[in-house]
Amino acid sequence: MSADSLERLAGAGKGDSTRTMLRVIILLLVAGAAVSSRLFSVIRFESIIHEFDPWFNFRATKYLVANGFYKFWDWFDDRTWHPLGRVTGGTLYPGLMVTSGVIYHALRALSIPVDIRNVCVLLAPAFSGLTAYAAYLLTNEMTPSSSAGLLAAIFMGIAPGYISRSVAGSYDNEAIAIFLLVFTFYLWIKALKLGSMLWGALCALFYGYMVASWGGYAFITCLLPLHAFVLICMGRYSTRLYVSYTTWYALGTLASMQIPFVGFLPVKTSEHMPALGIFGFLQLLAFLDYVRSAIPSRQFQTFLWVFAGSIFGVGLIGLVVATSAGYIAPWSGRFYSLWDTGYAKIHIPIIASVSEHQPTAWPAFFFDLNMLIWLLPAGVYLCYQKLADEHVFVIVYALFGSYFAGVMVRLMLTLTPVVCVAAAIALSTILNTYLKAKSPVPEEHMVDESTDGASKKAAKSGLKASSKPFIGIYATFSKVTIVGAMTAYLLLFVAHCTWVTSNAYSSPSVVLASRMPDGSQHIIDDYREAYQWLRQNTKEDAKIMSWWDYGYQIGGMADRPTLVDNNTWNNTHIATVGKAMASREEVSYPIMRQHEVDYILVVFGGLLGYSGDDINKFLWMVRIAEGIWPDEVKEREFFTPRGEYRVDAGATDTMKNSLMYKMSYHNYNNLFPPGQAQDRVRGVRLPDDGGPVLNSIEEAFTSENWIIRIYKVKDLDNLGRDHASASAFERGLKKKKVIKKKGPRVLRVD
Amino acid sequence: MKTSVVFSAFLSLLSLASTGSAHGHHHHHHGTSKAAAAPVTVKPPQVFKNVNLVHIVSLEKNYVKESINVVIENIDKEAQSDYLVPFTNEQLSLLGGLEVRDRKNAESGPFVVEPMEIESFGPNQYVRIRLPTPLAPGAQQTLGITYYLLNAYKPLPASIKQEDQQFLSYSFSAYCPSVYITSKQKTEVKFASTNIPDYTKLPGSGDVKEFPQKQGSKLVYGPFDEKPAGALKPVQVRFEFNKPVIHVSKLERDIEVSHWGGNVAFEERYDMEHRGANLTSLFNRVKWQQQQYYNPVTHALKEMKFPLRVGSADPYYTDVIGNVSTSRFRSNKREALLEIKPRYPLFGGWKYPFTIGWNSDAKNFLRKTATGGFVLNVPFLEGPKQPEGVEYEQVVVRLILPEGAENVKWTTGIPKSSISEAGVQIHKTFLDTIGRTALIIKGRNLVDDFRDRDLTVTYDYPMSAVLRKPLVVFSSSMAVFVSLWLLSLVNLKFTSKK
Repeated sequence: MSADSLERLAGAGKGDSTRTMLRVIILLLVAGAAVSSRLFSVIRFESIIHEFDPWFNFRATKYLVANGFYKFWDWFDDRTWHPLGRVTGGTLYPGLMVTSGVIYHALRALSIPVDIRNVCVLLAPAFSGLTAYAAYLLTNEMTPSSSAGLLAAIFMGIAPGYISRSVAGSYDNEAIAIFLLVFTFYLWIKALKLGSMLWGALCALFYGYMVASWGGYAFITCLLPLHAFVLICMGRYSTRLYVSYTTWYALGTLASMQIPFVGFLPVKTSEHMPALGIFGFLQLLAFLDYVRSAIPSRQFQTFLWVFAGSIFGVGLIGLVVATSAGYIAPWSGRFYSLWDTGYAKIHIPIIASVSEHQPTAWPAFFFDLNMLIWLLPAGVYLCYQKLADEHVFVIVYALFGSYFAGVMVRLMLTLTPVVCVAAAIALSTILNTYLKAKSPVPEEHMVDESTDGASKKAAKSGLKASSKPFIGIYATFSKVTIVGAMTAYLLLFVAHCTWVTSNAYSSPSVVLASRMPDGSQHIIDDYREAYQWLRQNTKEDAKIMSWWDYGYQIGGMADRPTLVDNNTWNNTHIATVGKAMASREEVSYPIMRQHEVDYILVVFGGLLGYSGDDINKFLWMVRIAEGIWPDEVKEREFFTPRGEYRVDAGATDTMKNSLMYKMSYHNYNNLFPPGQAQDRVRGVRLPDDGGPVLNSIEEAFTSENWIIRIYKVKDLDNLGRDHASASAFERGLKKKKVIKKKGPRVLRVD
Repeated sequence: MKTSVVFSAFLSLLSLASTGSAHGHHHHHHGTSKAAAAPVTVKPPQVFKNVNLVHIVSLEKNYVKESINVVIENIDKEAQSDYLVPFTNEQLSLLGGLEVRDRKNAESGPFVVEPMEIESFGPNQYVRIRLPTPLAPGAQQTLGITYYLLNAYKPLPASIKQEDQQFLSYSFSAYCPSVYITSKQKTEVKFASTNIPDYTKLPGSGDVKEFPQKQGSKLVYGPFDEKPAGALKPVQVRFEFNKPVIHVSKLERDIEVSHWGGNVAFEERYDMEHRGANLTSLFNRVKWQQQQYYNPVTHALKEMKFPLRVGSADPYYTDVIGNVSTSRFRSNKREALLEIKPRYPLFGGWKYPFTIGWNSDAKNFLRKTATGGFVLNVPFLEGPKQPEGVEYEQVVVRLILPEGAENVKWTTGIPKSSISEAGVQIHKTFLDTIGRTALIIKGRNLVDDFRDRDLTVTYDYPMSAVLRKPLVVFSSSMAVFVSLWLLSLVNLKFTSKK
């Protein structure tokens, strides 16, 4: 080996192109780590769509792929919300489906035979790789050191807060929306820094894509104006801000209005008003700027006050009038619940009944972000030190984001990117400081300072923060300790992320896993067993009534029309189903007849100890029904006089006579020796009275572990009797039949 | 050539008989074509006599297997080679796997059998059996005719309780339908169990007082004395069949050969249903669980076993909503057994479509010939091996050969009469440019008795075709890189670089 090549080896990592090469390799590895850490569920179970909402997205994607874009756009779905139907094309965010559709068709065009299900399952992991790259770009705008960007990329790649919504199979809007969110922010910063219309237009383009993908776009719609507003308040109005903001707002709003579901909301609802207000405000500032350059300063003062005051007054009056006249919709319920966490519980039980709308518990922050959460303040502090326009953005985003993450569990997702960016800035500063192998030479520094005396004085007379003290670490021990500690934290972080992803976020929830006594994995597949049964053995248009949680799954897996589903747009309809479930058979039967219900599906976990069953959700059904029919359904009647929610012998009569109770426990006690029937979820013994009797419906199917029970709604009695007497008669007859001996069958020969 | 001469002679005989018919007729003279003459009412020529006939109706499985062993005699003055067998229109649509062999000469292959599509020939359709050598006047020959009838049972009662026993009924003629005089015949009916509660009784003859005679799980009608041509005696039997009546309305079987991977991939998609008695009241899980414990014999389908070729690997079992976890695969040097359970027990009237697939090393099926071509030898049909049997209404075998394979020829042990269509198509997948050669063979009305029949395909696969894909992939990715590089040279900025 020649000395030349040795030198080259030693110099590796110093040359520009070598660094670029290294960066590319590291980013590819980060993307690889981000993708592979999301594949737990595919490896453990299978390539399957998870949970509830993704099943709708999957079904919509299949519809798009099968029928083309225009049909999809005009899709009226008569298989949901029977008998209302749903204008699906106009009430969804099409970004996700269109993205999958484009990928699917592109791969097909290259004649790579790919299943649309696999495209959908792997879309979220694939986009997480892109998100990591976007985080790299965004962080690079904050600090000159690209190591911060790389750290941000890996944080973004494996932070559980983001993984929670983007594991393979979690085919939800967030799968692509977080990438779009981060990338839009990157483009915004770029546009703002350069004052470039091109970057502003790009930002608007991706904002449009974001609007097409996720309802959370409102976060951008509020954050960018807020950033602009803070900058203006700091006296940092500039033509750069003007150009980038107005370009983004004008083009972005037009783009967002192309989505039928959004339509005129950007000019009509309160959520979008800040963006419009700042847009107007910027026009005023630009105008004032022009006036100031044209007229003398004293006149300008008067002009300014009068002008600003009148504009503000007119604007405020206009807003109030428009709101009261109904041109601008007041804040929606979901937004109220962002300010007052108790709001939904009192006024909108349907929002409160969704677990992801609950306020975040403190441990969740550590669970989802681990050490990043305590690096966040450090990163924000460092941003204060530099405080350029882009650092203001990080600060604003961090404050805004952490508030919302505290209010709603789901919004942890929007906080995660800024946490990753800030933590990366903090950590890279620490590492940059402590990783320098060479100790600084104090004399050099002193000389530097003395020769630079004039500037030093100027610095001293200025703000304290702007006089930068000399930073340097001398002791090798402290270097080793700090770097060692940081490495340990990073390793712990990786271990934590892997553990959380593997244990908390990788269950498809359609399929349950349990262990056999010998340690082998046993799959409990009751959901799909029942859905497949429905799909194969009922009429194509048999209407299924179930609680709304299972609507999307029934639509996706059983392919049968449902009454209500997870797109909870019609509270009354949901309350109708709740009432049917919570009432006595005689009340429920007419409701089911009116809605042409053929089958009813309930989830019952009593045998297996599966706690997410309908009896545990039952109170929500009662509450939602009570909201509409307070005289007919009363929550109080489901509690015992002592205020207990019981299903055993002590249950109230209302409870025992409710359709839900009867369907859950029908025939259940026959599975046990007399008097031994046990509900393993509630941990109670059931009364030994022969179990609930059903008259107007009959058992049609029960899955292997009893998780899903399906009942068929009986037709009207042939003899015009009511169902109770008809089935009582039948029961009586059956007893006689047993005694009566039948003669031998004679075959008719013709 | 001789058969063709006889054939046209027969046709002209027919057309002579139909003097009143205004229809013109034309016919082709090569052996495989179908006759299109249209006589009105005519009896087939009485050139044969059935000297002795044994008709065995086997109802042991969920399809009917009938075999007719008959000694025929030419009673005409000329040598004859066309023996006709009548079927009703309904039977013909259910008929499959018709094969005729010489009982005395097991070595000779199956005879040529073809339907005669004669329009208004009464309620019957005829199938013509061509004797390989024409039978001389007065000479005798023993034919073994076997065929299967799918979908032939009716559950009686049509709906039963979950824990009840299932009974099926079947109607047929105690006299074997024939277009010729039958001197002596008997019909044996075999059942899966001895429980045969109902059957039509006929007055006996000779020393037998009453037909049928019951011998264990067998009923024997006959022997009967001479019956004229076309004599029928409808009878019905009703018997216990406490097993699932599995009917596969469509089986799509893909066999994909990869030379690069050295692999043959199989995938089978079943449209399966249970055609037995429906449930009177819907499914009751408690009863089912108790029944499983006390009396596991049931008419519901619980499990299927697929004995695959030894060396099969990576099996999968899915349905339309994903993987089904209730399967087991045992593979060792002696067997490769895939055991699958449907998601739910399959009762009468219920459906369960599913997909299974597996891989196998190409050298188990593929060999190279001396001339450089390839010979692929795969089973035409695999499918589950069930004690109660499986019937297939429609089977589509799609054999996907490598891209550029040509000169495809095939033969199969499946009776010709059950092959409805065959052809070569193009199938595009995995970065193909011209697409792969796909041989598609459609069969109808098959049963699992044909599991061991092979499909042999020969084809050529030139070296240029072998190298096509790597070259195409390499050159197209090079083209992408070069065009990207060229694009990077284009200056899109307004200002020139400083």
